[in-house]
Amino acid sequence: MLAYVVSDAEFRTKRFRSLESALLEFLSEKGCSVERRSIERGELKSCAGCFGCWVKTPGECIVRDPIAEINRRSMQSDVTIYLCPIVFGQFSANMKNVIDRWLPNMLPFFLTRPDGSTMHPPRYDSYPAQVMIGYGDDLQAEDEALFCDITKKHRNGIEAMVWHNAEELGRTLGDMRFERIGGSL
Amino acid sequence: MNKPVRTIALLSASPKGSGLPCVSRMFCNMAAERIAYGEVCVHRFDVRACFAEKTEESTYRAMLESDALLVVFPLYFFCLPGMLMRFLQDFSVFAKAHAAESRLNRVYALVNCGFPEAGINEEAVRVVARFSASVQASFRFGILVGGGGMALGAKDAPFMKSYFGSITDAFDQIRIDTISFSEAPLANVYVEAKFPRKLYFLAGDLGWKHTAKKNGLPKKALRRQPYKRD
Repeated sequence: MLAYVVSDAEFRTKRFRSLESALLEFLSEKGCSVERRSIERGELKSCAGCFGCWVKTPGECIVRDPIAEINRRSMQSDVTIYLCPIVFGQFSANMKNVIDRWLPNMLPFFLTRPDGSTMHPPRYDSYPAQVMIGYGDDLQAEDEALFCDITKKHRNGIEAMVWHNAEELGRTLGDMRFERIGGSL
Repeated sequence: MNKPVRTIALLSASPKGSGLPCVSRMFCNMAAERIAYGEVCVHRFDVRACFAEKTEESTYRAMLESDALLVVFPLYFFCLPGMLMRFLQDFSVFAKAHAAESRLNRVYALVNCGFPEAGINEEAVRVVARFSASVQASFRFGILVGGGGMALGAKDAPFMKSYFGSITDAFDQIRIDTISFSEAPLANVYVEAKFPRKLYFLAGDLGWKHTAKKNGLPKKALRRQPYKRD
């Protein structure tokens, strides 16, 4: 089982190192092979909203930078785990660039989710399980709640949690199914 | 005419290039037209241009010297686009280092989404509220706009009158609130087009197919799977 772990090089804090070490230990115990990718400031361009990934080169971003390799590795994995610094209750700029530029992996059309909201249909029959793990110093309750709401309220098949300690991480990840998923996102 | 007594920094935060049709930029034009007269002066900034021209520091300084900030942006994956996050993340650091010079007192947001429902923007507005707290400013209210996909193409259609009317009313409220410096709480404004959802989806789907065709792609190419697992 391949776990692809993406993190933000701009926030290599003490807290991050504790999280990363606990996660790697958990994945090792689970028998996963792990591939890590850390994103430096300025390494990825921001999504320009041109929709070229839908109508010019479907499934691939038209901007030639490391996002093609990141999206390919993620889509080949069984589980992709994003270690996200929480800034103003959402993903940091570097991580948000990775997330925004995941757009090629979906189709441009619209569908209605069971709760009545709108979403884009999946491009692929199956996707890696995805987990967003937020972390940060001096987070307030609203930051943590908001971080989870952004993902959990609007997307299927993606888990979101905030790092507090190794025990809780192991418990939460232990309840998750680390296998590829199908259906709408 | 009264002399300006309040300054609003109007931040256009669409990552789209200047050659592309841009809903956020249209809303910024509307806001500037509606808010900037008499006692209120509007200074416009564009996040994309600011990075391209490397004018971050002078822009941050101007924002701190304003009484209020209105951020206008599209929703990307249910929150702020990466480009805007970079800008606000760095601004927050700058603002902390220059807190003594800051006049910035209040923040407003307009978020537009290509999906029909306005409520989908709620988390993005909450993020702007958290950003406001980080720069010691009061978040006043958000304008949550759905149906952004038709805001440009159907802007003169009769059924869009109430849609744009709600937005201009909200801009008026920003103007009044900035002048009064009131602390009374204000509710978010939700704006949706009165247009059948099924037709909106159909128009969107046809639009994608049409654009792909113009780019020389057959219809089925839209569903390519370049990263399909072997």
